[in-house]
Amino acid sequence: MKKTINFILNGHEVSAEVESHKMLLQVLRDTFGLTGTKEGCGMGECGACTVLVDGMNIDSCIFPAFEVHGKSVTSIEGLLGEGNRLHSIQESFVEKGGVQCGFCTPGMIMSAKALLDETPNPEDGEIRKGISGNLCRCTGYVQIIESVKDAAVRRTE
Amino acid sequence: MKKFDYYQPETLKEAFSLMEKFKGRAKYVAGGTDLIVRIKQKVIQPGALISLRGIDALKSIRHNGGLSMGSMTLIRNMERDAVITRDYPALKQAVSVLANPQIRNVATVGGNFCNSAPCADCAPPLLVMEAILMIDGPGGTREVPVDDFFKGPGENCMDSVEILKAIKVPDIRNPKFKTGMAFLKTGRVAQDLAIASAAALVSMDGKICRECRLAAGSVGPIPLRLRRAEKLVKGEEITPELLEQVGKTVEQEVSPITDIRSTEEYRRLVTGVMIRRGIGQAIGMVNGEL
Repeated sequence: MKKTINFILNGHEVSAEVESHKMLLQVLRDTFGLTGTKEGCGMGECGACTVLVDGMNIDSCIFPAFEVHGKSVTSIEGLLGEGNRLHSIQESFVEKGGVQCGFCTPGMIMSAKALLDETPNPEDGEIRKGISGNLCRCTGYVQIIESVKDAAVRRTE
Repeated sequence: MKKFDYYQPETLKEAFSLMEKFKGRAKYVAGGTDLIVRIKQKVIQPGALISLRGIDALKSIRHNGGLSMGSMTLIRNMERDAVITRDYPALKQAVSVLANPQIRNVATVGGNFCNSAPCADCAPPLLVMEAILMIDGPGGTREVPVDDFFKGPGENCMDSVEILKAIKVPDIRNPKFKTGMAFLKTGRVAQDLAIASAAALVSMDGKICRECRLAAGSVGPIPLRLRRAEKLVKGEEITPELLEQVGKTVEQEVSPITDIRSTEEYRRLVTGVMIRRGIGQAIGMVNGEL
């Protein structure tokens, strides 16, 4: 079963013919070539595939592609800072050592964005809860939490 | 992953007729955070999924004295609901520790029930609140007390065409007595499925407990109401000695198994402890300590 879905992808109206069993992750990577979004476990546990759908962070590996019809999707490629620079959250991750191997980073940053959009000045506990669906095997999370804190400060400046 | 068709009906009627057409081959899907994982793991291989996301009648939370949640209410929206936070803190606690943000943004209260996992986080609080499930089918609507809903691991009282429409929670505020409630959960790390979970609700008349309802998850084939332990508390003054006895009774009343997440022995012990603490927290709420 195939269907044409129309949605907003990183600010642009797009349309694609997709098969009914495809998940959003495959459509982003294979149809649109947006390989910034990673497949980790593929089972909705690790958060490497996190993107925003209508502003909410979701695991795109278990989100049926048909369900984004009429919605707005933001992937890591959709984050942009002023003057074509990195987005402020990305800059914080670079500066505070929140990135090591980098595989969890796109998903981690999308969860950080969802958190900061709702809670501009999160406490440590809120940051931990906000990124609890994103597993990182490198950093031990300390630098990631520092990065999100830094990003919160940059945004309110 | 095996291919499947994906239908998106906009009304219940449309959903029923699709299900009747594909009987045996299709499954309803809510958020899909459990169902789609099971398809990917090849545990189930349905030929078609019928998504309930497009049916507006299943979506809203209404407060009319009590609480009425459409089955497609997102766990996220329950977590942020002001009335649930104020009046149903045990439910608030359960939904705020359910999996992780990405899952809570997609998963629904109806999906949590219809999966009928013994570890469903929404079940113990809704058992102690004596919620009513509104089940709709081609023949009409029926009301089932939450106590009669679960039939076994992954099994419930609905037939394959029926859809859980809403969950109604009565106004638990008692005009004569003060009511408190609590939910506790044990897992290895925060986002895990529960090793065991427990909910307690008490209505106090001074020092005397007039109403006591207890429930536990992940410690039997279905989420359990613990009526033997409840009887010990009802009409009594709650003393440390009584709580000790309640804990021992709970250890006997539950029927856990040993599996990948924990052992039978540990589950018995920890459920006894959690019920005791849950009663303590619920009384604390009555006394305005929390």
